[in-house]
Amino acid sequence: MATGSMDDLADRFANRAVRSVFVYTREAHPGENYRHHSSMDDKRRNARAFLEHSKVRRQILLDDLEGSAHRAYGSLPNMTWIVGRGGMIHYKSAWTSEADVADALEGVLDFQANRAKQQWVAFYSERSAWSTRDLAKFKAGLERGGPQAVADYQRMLESNKSARAAPSEDVGPRIPGNFYKTRDESDKR
Amino acid sequence: MEYNYSEFAAHPEEFSEFAMHAPKATMRAPSFALEDLATGATVQLSEAWQSGVAVVEFGSFT
Repeated sequence: MATGSMDDLADRFANRAVRSVFVYTREAHPGENYRHHSSMDDKRRNARAFLEHSKVRRQILLDDLEGSAHRAYGSLPNMTWIVGRGGMIHYKSAWTSEADVADALEGVLDFQANRAKQQWVAFYSERSAWSTRDLAKFKAGLERGGPQAVADYQRMLESNKSARAAPSEDVGPRIPGNFYKTRDESDKR
Repeated sequence: MEYNYSEFAAHPEEFSEFAMHAPKATMRAPSFALEDLATGATVQLSEAWQSGVAVVEFGSFT
């Protein structure tokens, strides 16, 4: 999770009427050290450990135990959303990339500033995005969770080995959230 | 699947569910009552976009 760079982004945009919050969800990779939540006290304890470790400077908001907010927004482990003044969704992303959020945020602020002129209208659009991946940092996070977290993730990798291979030189690896299928795969459906 | 699962297991459909069924850009963002970790106070998520633009990241320690 890019908590440090997302905090930096929050600081950079704070004086442009942008408020950044972090919604604490279920544990994505529970292990012996940070188990799944059976109560709100479990959730608070893990969230405080997260705060202590990551030093997140944004407001941390705890979802309820059932994940009402998290489920309504799609249940993914590290999504980011941008919502405009008044409540319109401008951006939803399956993963969090500080660079992609910053790029989208500039567009949203441009829109907010210019819509008063009655010449700009928002419209629906989709695109792919990218980010760099620090695998060592991710693995360290799993290890912090405990051996079970490492083993569960390894098991998932083994079961999805073929699906995670790069389909071609032109298209990146099929990481979770990438819907690309080869022509053969598409024809089988 | 139980929301607070005790063992991680990938669910291949969760990303397409996110793409197809979670709210989409240009829709109204849903608001929920959440607990401020620092103060214990209950706040509405919509307070984040009441007077400006909100960036909402979801995540956990693990």
